[in-house]
Amino acid sequence: MGGSQRHRDPYDFIVTVILGIETSCDETAAAVVDDTLRVRSSVVESSLDLHRDFGGVVPELAGRAHLTTMTPVVERALVQAGLDPLAPAIDGVAVTSGPGLIGSLLVGVSAAKAYAVAWGVPVVGVNHLEGHLFAPLLETPDLAWPVLTILVSGGHSMFVLHESPGVHRVLGETIDDAAGEAYDKVARWLGLGYPGGPVIDRLAQRGDGNGLRLPVSMTGPDVDLSFSGLKTAVVRATEKHPEVSMEDVAASFQRAVCEQILRKARRALDDYDVAGIALAGGVAANSALRAGVSALAEERDIECHLPTLAMCTDNAAMIAAAGLYRLQHDGPGRLDFAADPNWSLASLS
Amino acid sequence: MNILAIETATTVCAVALRAGDDVDARILDEDRRHTEALTPGIVRVLADHQLSVRDLDRIVVDRGPGLFTGLRVGLATAQALASAVGVDLVGVTSLECLAHSAASRGYRGALVALVDGRRGEVFAQSFEIADDVVVLTPAEVRRPLDVAIEWGTNGRPVLATGDGALRYADVLAPVPTMTLDDESVPSCRAAIALGAVRAPGEVSPLYLREADAVANFSTRQRPS
Ligand SMILES: [Zn+2]
Repeated sequence: MGGSQRHRDPYDFIVTVILGIETSCDETAAAVVDDTLRVRSSVVESSLDLHRDFGGVVPELAGRAHLTTMTPVVERALVQAGLDPLAPAIDGVAVTSGPGLIGSLLVGVSAAKAYAVAWGVPVVGVNHLEGHLFAPLLETPDLAWPVLTILVSGGHSMFVLHESPGVHRVLGETIDDAAGEAYDKVARWLGLGYPGGPVIDRLAQRGDGNGLRLPVSMTGPDVDLSFSGLKTAVVRATEKHPEVSMEDVAASFQRAVCEQILRKARRALDDYDVAGIALAGGVAANSALRAGVSALAEERDIECHLPTLAMCTDNAAMIAAAGLYRLQHDGPGRLDFAADPNWSLASLS
Repeated sequence: MNILAIETATTVCAVALRAGDDVDARILDEDRRHTEALTPGIVRVLADHQLSVRDLDRIVVDRGPGLFTGLRVGLATAQALASAVGVDLVGVTSLECLAHSAASRGYRGALVALVDGRRGEVFAQSFEIADDVVVLTPAEVRRPLDVAIEWGTNGRPVLATGDGALRYADVLAPVPTMTLDDESVPSCRAAIALGAVRAPGEVSPLYLREADAVANFSTRQRPS
């Protein structure tokens, strides 16, 4: 029966194959990963299209979509991994239990517990942000430690010193908006629709980054970030200079975002001796940021981990990888764990 | 036939297990901690009867109407359990469980089942209970006062049951022909009885209400 009873001692078992489940925002995802960090399957269904008209993810719509998609997505992940969906040879289930939208998290957490109980394996709640930290490992399992991870998404923007798998420290983070949030807000202001990241990135590639004068925020000695002032600056500058093309506005905004992130990344690299730098989260898909981080790594002669586009988006493979680590080091979670919409990464260090 | 019933449509989380002829019904939590309480409760009730999920012939789940997040905890759990081992899944509604529970306690006559829908509204459905439980109206979102006016005007004796009746007792009590039921949680025993004889298949939640954003969006002009 329940895995938490069967595996009383956290160290008396070895997890070799794990099912990951992710439902913290608008992606319903499931993946099977093994202990060599090989991704045997990774299935992601997004409800993004349902939210487009609303200019952001509508929690209730996301929750409803997760419920409809959850079990079919898990079944597909199992089948694609070559497993029998009614008796899969897995040793554990990992699920995002925070941070995220509570109504979305609950669907994944409830399903994960049920699968674990039905198959008699342990279940563990994974911090979504820690999942992002594990993403580079899935693409480079033998990467050199420590790694400075720039985690930038619609909900988070932070610098994390990842010393060894699962051992990490938040060095600094945004004091207001997340980077992806700033892209969404500026895109809305410019009438470009939702989500803002891809469309601004596309326009920016045809624009002049000096077309609009924008301030670089947060020039202090810390490694914190701030994007809300930049959004206000875009609003003011475009009102004052309506003649500047959309492409130039996009390029100037993108340049200011990247400049701030890269300036702070440089500072973190000055303070901490790392073997590599990694980009993680949805904004890791941004072409200018990828180019900037890659140049920075070359300049400092350290490894550069740029995720594939599939690994930038929220996915369950990274949750499975983090869950594998958590199960092996902390043992299984109790079956009565809750979802925590505000679970901070710092609380894990 | 071994049947597990899952109830999460209201603030109460409950399960019941029919193992052979015996039904073991349990309240797991009464304060909206469905996520925490449900799966451990299922593990305990199965273990107490020396059963595992694979020994179940069928899982019955209350698909609403009720609290949206609670419903999703129950349905996500039921769907995952069922698909994990290939057990049949059956859906029942919270309102029919309330009606059938009153019938099994010997009530005969008109009944209005009311589940608290928050925001000053109830999910309501009327039944006529004789030898069978007959549905009089479809499940719908109503204001408690409208329910009171309807039954106050038609003059028929009626039993109001469910946590909606409890919550809006002050609005409903002035109706002289209306009796308020003590039971307020959709019964898992009723769910098992109903689910045992119903054809299994896909089960989807009965929300009865659009997501707020969608409702607001469709009644508002698109900004130009
Ligand atoms: Zn994410």
